[in-house]
Amino acid sequence: MSVAISIENVVKRFGKETVINGVSLDINPGEFFTLLGPSGCGKTTLLRMIIGFNTIDGGHIKIDGKVINDIPTNKRNMGMVFQNYAIFPHMSVKDNIAFGLKNRKLPKGEIEARVDEILKIVKIDQLKNRMPQKLSGGQQQRVALARAIVIHPEVLLMDEPLSNLDAKLRTEMRNAIKQIQRQVGITTVYVTHDQEEALAVSDRIAVMNAGVIQQVDTPKNIYQRPSNIFVSTFIGLSNIFNGVLESNNNGIAIVRIGNYRFRMNNILIDSSPNMPVKVAVRPEEFIINRETQEGIPVVVKYSVFLGVSTHYFVETQEGQEIEVIQNSDLDELIPNGEKIHLKVQAQKINVFTDDGSRSLIDREVRS
Amino acid sequence: MKGAKKILNIWQALAIAILALFLLFVVYPLGLILYKSIIMKDGTVSFAYFVKFFSKKYYWSTLINSFKVTVASTLVSAVLGLIIAYLLRSIKIRGSRLLNILIVISYLSPPFIGAYAWIQLLGRNGFITRILNALFNVKLGGIYGFSGIVLVFSLQSFPLVYMYVSGALKNMDNSLNEAAESLGCSVVQRVWKIIVPLVMPTLLASALLVFMRVFSDFGTPMLIGEGYKTFPVLLYSQFMGEVNTDDNYAAALCVIVIGITLILFFIQRYIGFRMSYSMSAMKPMEPDKAKGLKNILAHIFAYLVVLVAVLPQITVIVTSFLDTKGASFAGKFTLENYKNILMPKNISTLTNTYLFGLAAILLVVVLGVLISYLTVRKRSILTAIIDTLTMFPYIIPGSVLGISFLYAFNKKPLLFSGTAIIIIIALCIRRMPYTIRSSTAIIGQISPSVEEAAISLGSTETKTFLKITVPMMMAGVLSGAIMSWITLISELSSSIILYTSKTQTLTVAIYVEVIRSNFGNAAAYSTILTVTSILSLLLFFKVSGSNDISV
Repeated sequence: MSVAISIENVVKRFGKETVINGVSLDINPGEFFTLLGPSGCGKTTLLRMIIGFNTIDGGHIKIDGKVINDIPTNKRNMGMVFQNYAIFPHMSVKDNIAFGLKNRKLPKGEIEARVDEILKIVKIDQLKNRMPQKLSGGQQQRVALARAIVIHPEVLLMDEPLSNLDAKLRTEMRNAIKQIQRQVGITTVYVTHDQEEALAVSDRIAVMNAGVIQQVDTPKNIYQRPSNIFVSTFIGLSNIFNGVLESNNNGIAIVRIGNYRFRMNNILIDSSPNMPVKVAVRPEEFIINRETQEGIPVVVKYSVFLGVSTHYFVETQEGQEIEVIQNSDLDELIPNGEKIHLKVQAQKINVFTDDGSRSLIDREVRS
Repeated sequence: MKGAKKILNIWQALAIAILALFLLFVVYPLGLILYKSIIMKDGTVSFAYFVKFFSKKYYWSTLINSFKVTVASTLVSAVLGLIIAYLLRSIKIRGSRLLNILIVISYLSPPFIGAYAWIQLLGRNGFITRILNALFNVKLGGIYGFSGIVLVFSLQSFPLVYMYVSGALKNMDNSLNEAAESLGCSVVQRVWKIIVPLVMPTLLASALLVFMRVFSDFGTPMLIGEGYKTFPVLLYSQFMGEVNTDDNYAAALCVIVIGITLILFFIQRYIGFRMSYSMSAMKPMEPDKAKGLKNILAHIFAYLVVLVAVLPQITVIVTSFLDTKGASFAGKFTLENYKNILMPKNISTLTNTYLFGLAAILLVVVLGVLISYLTVRKRSILTAIIDTLTMFPYIIPGSVLGISFLYAFNKKPLLFSGTAIIIIIALCIRRMPYTIRSSTAIIGQISPSVEEAAISLGSTETKTFLKITVPMMMAGVLSGAIMSWITLISELSSSIILYTSKTQTLTVAIYVEVIRSNFGNAAAYSTILTVTSILSLLLFFKVSGSNDISV
C-alpha cells in the first residue's frame, strides 16, 4: 500500500530567485527519506511543493507514477507535521485528531475507533479530552503526528518537527517517530537541518545546498563516503588539508600532505602525477604519534576531556587549527604546547578534487 | 484544479465587493468634496474658496487658534500621561487598579461632556466659581476660551498617553534597569537615559493621536470656547449655521482639514517607523514601595490628577439627580430628569444608540475580519488597494465624513440622508481602520501553518477560514469589538451632522440639551452613557482577561 514518490527536474522560483534548480529524486515505497541541508537550502520549499503549499514552476512530482502537480492540497491525501505543530488551539486533542476524518465524512463510529487506535499508537490515550494549552511540547508533537497519520495518508511529510523540543526530548521523540513510522509503514519525507537527527532516523538522506542535491545515500555512506567537500564538512566535522596525489600505480596511490607521505588503495584516478587534491580527515581518523617524526607536525594548543573521548585542539606549522578526537585512556593527557605528529587512518579518510566538487574515492574497494 | 479555481473566486469576489463598498462610501463622498471645493457656482474651476479662507483674518485665525489649543493640550497631555504612567509603574500606589480604571473611564466619555461639566464647575455661574467669588469677594468671569478648551482637552486626552506609555513600560524588561544600574547609572540618569528614550516612540505616537483627536474635535470649543473660534467650529457653522451657509466653501474647508490631518498622519508614520524598538519583557518592572514623604507625595499626586480627570463624570452624575429648572439648580435631589428622558416619546434616543451601535459593530467586525484576512493571507494588487482605502477614514475627521455623506447621499438613487442606515454606515466607516488594524495584528499572530494543517487534512479553504481561523481570532476580535462599541456610542462629530429627530442618539441628545440649557436632561443622558461605558469596560476586562486597554 505504500507509494513511491518521484520528483523529476523540479524547479521553484520566488520572483527572480531560483530556489530549487532542477531537483530529481526517487523515494521508495515505505522509505523514511530525509532532506538535510543548511537553512535556506530549499529543503522546506521542496517539501511544501510535494504537499502543494508551493506551486511547481517546472518539472513534475509523481505519486506512484501519477503526476500530482495540479491536484489541490486538500485532495492530495498527504499528512504533514509542522515545525510549530500547528495544533488547533480551540479544539481538544480528540477533535484535533478527528478533524481530518470528519473532512472525509467518515461515519461517527469509525472516527471514534480510529482516533482511539492512533492515540494508543502514539501513546497519549490518557490525554484524549485535554485542550492543547495543557500539553507539553512533546505531547503536542505526538498529537500533531497522530493527526497527520490517522487519515491514512499516502505520504507523511515532516518539517523540522523536533526543532522546538529540548535536547533530551528530541532524542526520545525521534526514536518514537522512527518506531511509529516503521509500525505504520508509510512513505515519509522528513526535513531537518540537524545532521545527527537525520543520521538517526533516516533510511536514506538527500543532502541539499543552494537548491541543488549534493548526495543521496544511506546515513552510513553519507558520513563515511561523502561525495564532495560540502557534504564532508556539513555532516560531522572534517579537517581539510591541501594535499598532492603523487602517483597511483597498480591500485596503490601515494598521497602527500606537507612532508607526510602515506599510501591509499582506493583512489579512482589512474596515474596522474602530482595532482593537487583536498584531503578530508575526520577528528577520529587521526593517529597521534609522539615517538617518531612521521606525520603532520602540530603543536597541542589545549585539550578537552569528555569522558568517552578526549578532544585535542592542535595547530599546524601553517597556522591551521585542527581538531583530533581520541578514545580516552588511562595515560596522562598530552600537555599543552607539546609538539606531536599526526598520522591518518588511510582506509577511512576521503580525498577530493582540488575544487572539492568530486570524491576521488573508489567505494567498491573495502579496506 | 477546478476546486482551486473556485476557491480563489470566492475570495476574489469578496475582495471586489468590499472594494466596491469602499469606493461608494469613502472614495465617492470624498471625491465629491474635492470636486465641490474647486467648482464655482457658475460651474468654472477655481481656487477662489481657498483664497477666500486664507485672505480673511476672520477665517484663517481659526486655524491659528486650533493649532494653539491643540499644541498646548497635546503638550500637557503628554507630560501628564508620561508622569502618571511612570508613577503607577514604578511606585506602589494603593488602589492603583481603581485609578487605572478611572483614568480609562475619564477617557471614554466624549470630550464635550467634559466641557459642559467644567462650565458647571468653573463657568460664569459655576459651582466652584460661586464659592470662590463668595469666599474672596471677587467676580471671576469663569473659565472660557483658550484656557477652558485646553483644560478640557488635556484632562480628556492624557489618559490616552497614559495607556500607551503604560503599555510600553510594561513591555520593558526590568533587566534593562538593572543592567543600567550595574553599569553605574543613578536613578535619575536611568529614567533619562534608558526609560525616556525607550518609551519615546510610544509617547510620540500617542501624542500625535491626541493631536489629531483634539484638532478635529468641535463639540468642546463650541461649548466652552465662546468667542474663541477654532477651525472645526468654523466648519460646522459654515455647513450647519442658520445664516450664510455655503456648501462649496464648507467643502473647501473640509479639504483643508484633510490636508492637515494627512500631513500629521505621515509624520506619525515616519516617526513610528524610525524609532520603534521591539521589546518583550520576560520580567517586567515591578512597582516598588516608596517610603516616607516620597510615598505620600506620590499618592497625593496620583489621586489628585485622577480626581480632577473624573470630576466631570462625578459632576454629571450628581447633576443628573438634581432638580434643575433650566440652567439654575434648585438644590433638591430628584429622579425627575430620568423620568423626562425615559418618557415613551424620548426613549428612542436610547434604543437608537444601542441599535445603531450594535449594527455598526456587527458590520465592522465582519468586514474587519474579512478585510484583514484578505490583506494578510491573500496578498494581491486588489487587496493592497483595499488595505490603503480602509486607512482613509483614519485621517478624516468625523464632521468631514458627515458632511461628505450628506453631499453624496441626499439624492435618488442614493437617498440615505435622514435614515438610520447613513448613521450606521458612518459609524462603521469611522471605526473600520482601528478594527482592521487590530484584526490584522491578531491574524499576524496566527501561524499560517495552522491553516495549512487544516488544508492538508482535507479541509477546503473556506471551511478552514470558518472553522479554524475565525474561532482562533474570536477572543481578540471580541475584546476589540467591545472597545469599538464604547467608542461608537460616544461618537458625536459625524452623528451631529447626520441626525434627524428620528435618528437622535445619546451623544446628540446630550449636545442638544446642553445647547438648550436643559442641563438636568443632559446630565441624565450622560449618566446613562457613562454607566453603559463602565459596564462595557468591565465586560472587556472579563473577555480579554487583562487590565490593559488599547484604543
